[in-house]
Formats: sequence, C-alpha cells, structure tokens
Amino acid sequence: MIQHLLHISHVSKHFGGNVAVSDVSFSVEEEQIFGLIGPNGAGKTTLFNCITGFFPATSGDVIFDTKKINALRPDEICKLGMARTWQRVKPLGSLTVLENVMVGAFSVTTVAKEAEANAKEQLQVVGLNDYATKSAGSLPIGLKKKLELARVLATRPKMLLLDEICGGLNHTETDTILDIIRGIRKKGATIIFIEHDMKAVTSICDRIVVLNSGEKLAEGTPGEITTNPDVIAAYLGGGHHA
Amino acid sequence: MKQIAFLAVLAAVALALPLVIGENPYIIGILISMLMMAALSSAWNILGGYAGQYSFGHAAYFGAGAYTTLILLTLYNLNPLFCIAVGIVVASIIALVTGSIVFRLRGHYFGLASIAVAEVVRLSVLNFNFTGGAQGILLSDVALWDLDLNSKTPFYYGMLLVLVVTLSITAYLRRSKTGYYLQAIREDQDAAASLGINIYFYKNKALLLSAALTSVLGSLYGLYIRFIDTSAVLDLRLSIEIILTAIIGGVGTLWGPVIGALLLVPLAEILRSNLIGDVLIKAGLVSETSGVGLFLKGSLANAHVLLYGIITVLCILYLPKGILGLFRRKK
Repeated sequence: MIQHLLHISHVSKHFGGNVAVSDVSFSVEEEQIFGLIGPNGAGKTTLFNCITGFFPATSGDVIFDTKKINALRPDEICKLGMARTWQRVKPLGSLTVLENVMVGAFSVTTVAKEAEANAKEQLQVVGLNDYATKSAGSLPIGLKKKLELARVLATRPKMLLLDEICGGLNHTETDTILDIIRGIRKKGATIIFIEHDMKAVTSICDRIVVLNSGEKLAEGTPGEITTNPDVIAAYLGGGHHA
Repeated sequence: MKQIAFLAVLAAVALALPLVIGENPYIIGILISMLMMAALSSAWNILGGYAGQYSFGHAAYFGAGAYTTLILLTLYNLNPLFCIAVGIVVASIIALVTGSIVFRLRGHYFGLASIAVAEVVRLSVLNFNFTGGAQGILLSDVALWDLDLNSKTPFYYGMLLVLVVTLSITAYLRRSKTGYYLQAIREDQDAAASLGINIYFYKNKALLLSAALTSVLGSLYGLYIRFIDTSAVLDLRLSIEIILTAIIGGVGTLWGPVIGALLLVPLAEILRSNLIGDVLIKAGLVSETSGVGLFLKGSLANAHVLLYGIITVLCILYLPKGILGLFRRKK
C-alpha cells in the first residue's frame, strides 16, 4: 500500500480579499521528491507557510503522518518531523555556523555535546565543516543556503520543505545542492521542493504540482508536466493574465 | 571552563576585599552599589542581551522585591530570607502576567509594555495605604542569625553572592539549550520557530529568571538602606540605568554588564561627590570662588545623569558592541 506522508486537502489561504492559495489538494508519498512549481506570485511560499504553521490556512486540511496539523504552531510541526528552509535565508547572524546547526539539533536532544555531534555530522553532509567557527552572517549566499539545509537536517526531519534552495546559485552550486538532496532522500527523508528553475526540478523530482495564481494548474511526472500545454502557457505568459 | 575559573578568581578577590580595605563605610557603600548594579544589569542581560527582549521596566521587579520584603518585615517581623522568597514570588507573578500577554506580540511591543507595567506598579504602590504611599516604608530593625546588619559588610557579601549566582547562571545558560534558543530568538524569530523553538515559552522563561534575580537584589537593597519609596526603587530612571550599564559594557556578553557597572558607578560617584572639584581646588589649580570653581562644585555635581547620556551616545556611535566589543574581534 502506498504511504501518504503528507496530504493537502482543499487548502485555501485568503489575505483579506486576496486569494493567495485557492482550493489546492495533493498528496506526497514517503521518500518522494515532490516539486512545487509555478510563476512568481503563484502561491508556492504561501502554501509552504500554511503547511508549516506560519500562516494557518483559511480553509482546508493539512494532514501529516495521519495527524491533522492545521492549528499547530511552527515549532510543534517541526517537532513532529517536518522542517522547512527559507527562500530568503535566515542565518542566526551573530552565532557561528556550528552554533546555527546546533540550534536545530537541540530539537532532538537537550545535551549540548550530542547537539554538537549531530551538528558536525550535518556540516559534513552539506560540506560546510571548514566553516564551523565562522560567523553565519559572514557567509556568501551559496554557503548560507547550505547552512539552511544543514540546520533543518539537524532536526532529523521525516519531511523537508525546501523553498528555492537553489535560488541565486550558479550551476555548480545548484548541482552540489541537488546531489545533497538526493543523498538525503536515500536516507529515507521525503522532500517537497519549491523551485523556479525547471531544469533543476525536472531532473530531481518524482512528481510535480504546478500552481498558477493560487490554483493547482497541473500535477504529474516531470515528463507529463513539461509537455502540458497549460503549464507551457503559464510559464511563457501566453495564458490567462490576472 | 575558562570563564568559570575567571569567575572564581574574581569572586575570591571580591571576598577578600573588605578585609583589605577595612571598615571604611564610604568605600564599602560604593562597592555595594557597584556589585548591585553589576548584578542588576547581568540579570537584565539574560532577557535583554541573550533573548533580545529589551525590558524598560525592570524597576518593577526590583521594587516588587524591596516592597514585599519591607512590608512583611514591618508588619509581621518574619525571617528576612522568607521575605526575600515571597518577593521572588511576587516579582514572578508580575513577570508572568506581563509576559503571557505581551510576548504574544512581535517587535517592540514588549519594550513599550514593560514601561507601562512598571508605571502601573509604581502608581499602585504610590496610591495604596499598605505600601506607605508617598511616604515610603521605614524599617527600624532587622535581624538574621547573628549577623551585624547595622554594618554594611553583610550586604557587600549578599550582593556579591547574587552577582556570582547571576553570572554563573548566565555562563551556564550560554552553553545550554536554553541559551542557544534565546540567542536564536534574538537573531530571527521565524528561523527559531521553524527549528522547533517555542518562542513564547522561552521568552517567558528568560523573563521569569531575570525578574526573580532582580527582585532578590531589590530585597537586599531594601534591607540594606532600610528606607524605600517609589522614587528609590520603582523609578523609570532605575530601569534605564540598568539598561545603560549593560549597553555601555556590552549587551549579550557575560562580562559586559560587570564592566559597565565597574565604570559607571564610580564615575557617577565621582561626579556626584564633587571629587574632581575638590581635588583641583585643594591642589590650588582652581580658585573656589572663581567661575570654574563654582561650576565644578555646583553644576557638575548634578551632571552625572547627563554624562551617562553622553557616554551612551558615544558608545552607540563608536562602540556598538560596548566596551567589551573593543577587545573582541569577530572571527
């Protein structure tokens, strides 16, 4: 039987009269790499915020690991095993790289030594071990993205929500991050991946949902999505304008 | 570990100090003020420096300790230690009520609300009868074990003890889960929440700890001076002095508040006591009746608050990380 780790059911998010996300449903299976794509303003990040408890959904349900999580706080959701990164990176600037990752690690232990060991392990995974004692605020953007990744990995998540983790990176950096993500999946984590870069998405995702103007436009395998005329129209701007 | 060793050495020096300088009540008085301000500022620093939540109303917790202790002593003549403990409870209740409401909001609301709460406490105390109102409370006598509480020395050691406890807690916190969580909240609340940190809980925890320590200092102060009124223990000026001490020394560092107090308390004393004027006049450099002499003996003595202000502005402009920031280069 197929295990649905995350089930999004008719989720909508309104800000006053603005509909940012409208009646979106999809399910993510365990150990899938699931892509969430769409043009700017499609509602991808808003949907992430609804799932991770930062903005509770106006209507609809978010079910994670058979548990309804709509009304939970972000920290409670993190404790259940769902962790997110931020499109606009949020390093804890005055702490060191190692300390940043330790903050994540403290969600699974209260012992500083264990947190440090966990943090060092994650720095190894993303290749930041040489920067452990540097202040997080001083890192260049590519390394800050890796730090985001290491920090959420330290929370030992079952599911990771990565918000444009490759945004602003060059090809080599993107490839490194994609390799890291494949490695994470191999260890049993499930990943939802927001990305602009179609090439990155189609090369790594098992399944993709396309959002446009807050609505679900299409869902399918990368092959189906890249040949879908609606999707092509939305991306090339030939479709319905708001 | 190094910090703990350093702390132990300093504590040993401080322990021996009264034996060296003898029973000079003036000097001991200044030392007590220094220890008290260092401890107050360190307690504030747990919340303001590490968690990044600037409280402008710490006088409320100081006053809660002082008033609770002196009211209980004058009315029921209970054991002073028991009174101090009740003071902690009262301060904690004020802290919890404030925190549970205000920490639901983001941004600078806590700072504003902390002033409001402190003013509510001050005005309440001023208008109730059992608090002595505007007259304050005078404590005629107090006894604990066979300590000579008419001498200043027991209070010197009392303040020193609270300072050492506060610094030890801070040193421990910095390397613990709670300390990392407080710093994460200071740096970025959303990032902190997304990493599993219950922001509301940890802010309240820091406030509670900070308020409890502050109330103990208030109690000690009340027992030491034996007279309190709202302008001495509940004034906004006190809250601001606590913050300035931390800012000038170095916010969010273990030793910053101590350095701030070591510097500012004697400085205020020198200005207040006319020491500069007296020395210059005695040395014959300035005539007592000249304009400069009158200025030194008159106006300058009232200028210590102004000087505090000037030093703070200079610190913010040139030493945003406080005096301690001078010695600490970021890797």
